[in-house]
Amino acid sequence: MSLPNGHGGQLRLAIPSKGMEDDTLRFLQACGLRVDRTNPRQYRATMLGLPTGRVEVVFQRATDIFDEVDEGTVDLGITGFDIVAEHRAEDDDIVIVHGELGYQNCALVLAVPEGWVDVADVSDLAEVTADLRGAGRELRVATKYVNLTRQFLYDRGMTHFVLVEVSGALEAAPSLDTADVISDLTSSGVTLRENRLKTIGGGTVVRSQACLIGNRVALQASAHKLEATRCLLELIEAHLRARQHVSLTANIVGDSADAVAARVVAAGGQSLGLRGPTVARVYPKDAHGEGGAAWWAVTVVVSEAVLLPSVEALRRAGATDVSATQVRYVFEHRSWTFEALKRHLGQAAAVS
Amino acid sequence: MRADVPYSIASPVQRVRGTTDVLPVQQRRLRALAEALHERFESFGYEGVDTPILEPLELFLRKSGDEIVARMYAFAHWNRRLCLRPEHTASVMRLFVNEFQGRSLPLRLQYTGPEFRYERPSRGRQRQYTVLGLELIGASGPVADAEVLHLALSGLWAVGLQRYRLVVGHLGVVLQMLRQLGISEHAQGLILDQMEPLARGRLTVDEATTRILGLLGAGADEAAVPSDGAPAFEGLAGLPPDQATALAADLMRRVSLPLEGSARTPHQIIQRLLAKATRADPTERVRRAVAFVARLHEASGEPDRLGALRALVEQNGLSTAPLDEVEAALRFLRAHGSVPNRDDGATWEVDLALARGLRYYTGIVFEVYVDDEGGPLQVCGGGRYDDLIRALGGREAVPASGFAYGLERLALATERGGPTPAASPKVLVVPVAHDDLAVALHVAATLRAAGGMRVEQDVRLRGVKNALRHADRSGIAATVLIGAEERAKGQAIVRGMASREERRVPVEDVVAAVQALAG
Repeated sequence: MSLPNGHGGQLRLAIPSKGMEDDTLRFLQACGLRVDRTNPRQYRATMLGLPTGRVEVVFQRATDIFDEVDEGTVDLGITGFDIVAEHRAEDDDIVIVHGELGYQNCALVLAVPEGWVDVADVSDLAEVTADLRGAGRELRVATKYVNLTRQFLYDRGMTHFVLVEVSGALEAAPSLDTADVISDLTSSGVTLRENRLKTIGGGTVVRSQACLIGNRVALQASAHKLEATRCLLELIEAHLRARQHVSLTANIVGDSADAVAARVVAAGGQSLGLRGPTVARVYPKDAHGEGGAAWWAVTVVVSEAVLLPSVEALRRAGATDVSATQVRYVFEHRSWTFEALKRHLGQAAAVS
Repeated sequence: MRADVPYSIASPVQRVRGTTDVLPVQQRRLRALAEALHERFESFGYEGVDTPILEPLELFLRKSGDEIVARMYAFAHWNRRLCLRPEHTASVMRLFVNEFQGRSLPLRLQYTGPEFRYERPSRGRQRQYTVLGLELIGASGPVADAEVLHLALSGLWAVGLQRYRLVVGHLGVVLQMLRQLGISEHAQGLILDQMEPLARGRLTVDEATTRILGLLGAGADEAAVPSDGAPAFEGLAGLPPDQATALAADLMRRVSLPLEGSARTPHQIIQRLLAKATRADPTERVRRAVAFVARLHEASGEPDRLGALRALVEQNGLSTAPLDEVEAALRFLRAHGSVPNRDDGATWEVDLALARGLRYYTGIVFEVYVDDEGGPLQVCGGGRYDDLIRALGGREAVPASGFAYGLERLALATERGGPTPAASPKVLVVPVAHDDLAVALHVAATLRAAGGMRVEQDVRLRGVKNALRHADRSGIAATVLIGAEERAKGQAIVRGMASREERRVPVEDVVAAVQALAG
């Protein structure tokens, strides 16, 4: 059994052990964090890569991680936002440290039988619910997400339904006539279609992806854990930001650094680079050739979305060859998610 | 490896959000309010009933409306669907159907108890709160309405509230309008639900319209969603119904859409599809209905200045019968002796846009507010629900009306109006040693029998000094000390805790001495 986790000690992080495990380890690695496990069957490990020291890692089921973090047996946990949204309570000790880790994307959606050709959106479903009620029946909704589904239906004017607990495959419930419709997680929609179900307009209950949650009390009580969390967030945030950026380097001939920079800016406008181009002198192998014309290396970091337009702009500015490298991190002058976390913890402290 | 947490360091268990621990002073205040109201209602022949806090969920699904249902504490326990009652009227009507059908009517019942609604707690709004109300069952028309209205006001006087604002409405006008516009029953419910936020200024006409249309799936921002070919069926809708249905069913079979094996028959699905294809866009009608509700609210006013309201109803080609009913009820209400006294700050107002968040009202509805610096505080609400008993399985339709006060809100409103009801003085009888206990108990009993005081007996027997310190700290007005010497002489020492005056008196004079010293 686990030892009581006091306010001191190392930061403890729970990582999902099934389904999400590979993606999570890959994500942490991309952030520069290495999880060391003596053997893959062990449920304890150590994470290296933070300047604040090693982090104790435990592997748990994604659904249990919420409870572990809430009870404070671990300080931080990575789990699906769908689980957090479903299990949250008004007086829980959970704080969302980072809500969008960018993987494990899926959505909790309402799906109805394909044969319900008259049901195109949620308001149709509301009307069908009312019709069924008139016939003395209630709409049966199969789901494992009772809280989210109930609230979603309430918010859309449906109150005459019954949530059905189904063991096994949810998608089969309508064809087995144990439910009329389902509310289930989907990422591609393939399973729904295979079971002759369809999503309906406005029927997305919640969009989900992996997220990082923390125990409010533990983070408030320990400066060390909060600092370790800040370092973790710095890496995560800079990595996520970097995923959308490419660093371009081009060689351009020019009279001076200023002249080259002016040409690049004129060709690329404001869209070129996070701040603007960096221009550095290139010292040619043959220092006496080329009749005095100097070469300059121009470096810009651009959003992946404008990669080709940026290359074009550099060409217009006289670039002959352009190399592009994936950026590993993009740090801004502070971690915004950590600022948000601090504000949140501060407010919570002021209230309690 | 983890040792059990010793209780001494266990964290305290907190009460559930939105619930209250009622402490003695507040408890006394609430009880005094309840007693005064019960007495007043009893004098009009209303007999008390209690219904369970736990009810079948079905009871409130029948007729209470989405706004209530969405706020219920509902759960399944061993496969039975239960809830904590979110209101009393449905429960009392269930009781009527179970116990009183066939009785000579009218029947007058009153009740009190907690209700539960999952709402955001705020001033005067908790998730568990107490109501006290009454139902007049088996009588319709303005005379019955006037009795209910009169009792609602008369209860306020009984607890010392002269300053109030009565708002009376009638759902008849809005319901007529909705029917005249040909608005579907589903949409009618949605519009009724939005009347309250609209009248309270929480939503504008546009916002309310957008919200209703969104729920109806018309004019919503998700219009981009492909509508699964419904427009393709518009052509079919022109054909005779039987032919259209057959064609549509055939079409679906050809594209191998599974229509069988669902809770809905293929016929139902196709019927609804065709109906949908031909249905007119409700946007304009909903907008007109909401705008009309807003204009009704603007035209609200004092009972003897309803010209504009009457004109508005007439201009829209609606019957003024509901307005006549309201005026008649208010006339009879005056005959009861209820007249708004302006000097006390009491006002009456007629607002035909008043809706009460409950779907079962059919006629007059009303609310009573006590306004103060904290804003308007609704202390009472009620109305007429002539269809409810039938919906709950009654053998025949029985007209009924009633109202309920929020007891905690009444307490909040009366706090400023007057002091906490005074409690009688507390007396502590202290035997010095175990041998003195018998005499002490006898003296305590004598004091209680005399009345007008609350008498506690020292049960810790930790000596006179400790007992006196406890008395000082606990608001005890007088102590009676009995030791060996007093016992031998048939005496007792009476001490006034505030004055610190002590008297040694014969036991038979203890009552008089306590009365003198407890001051």
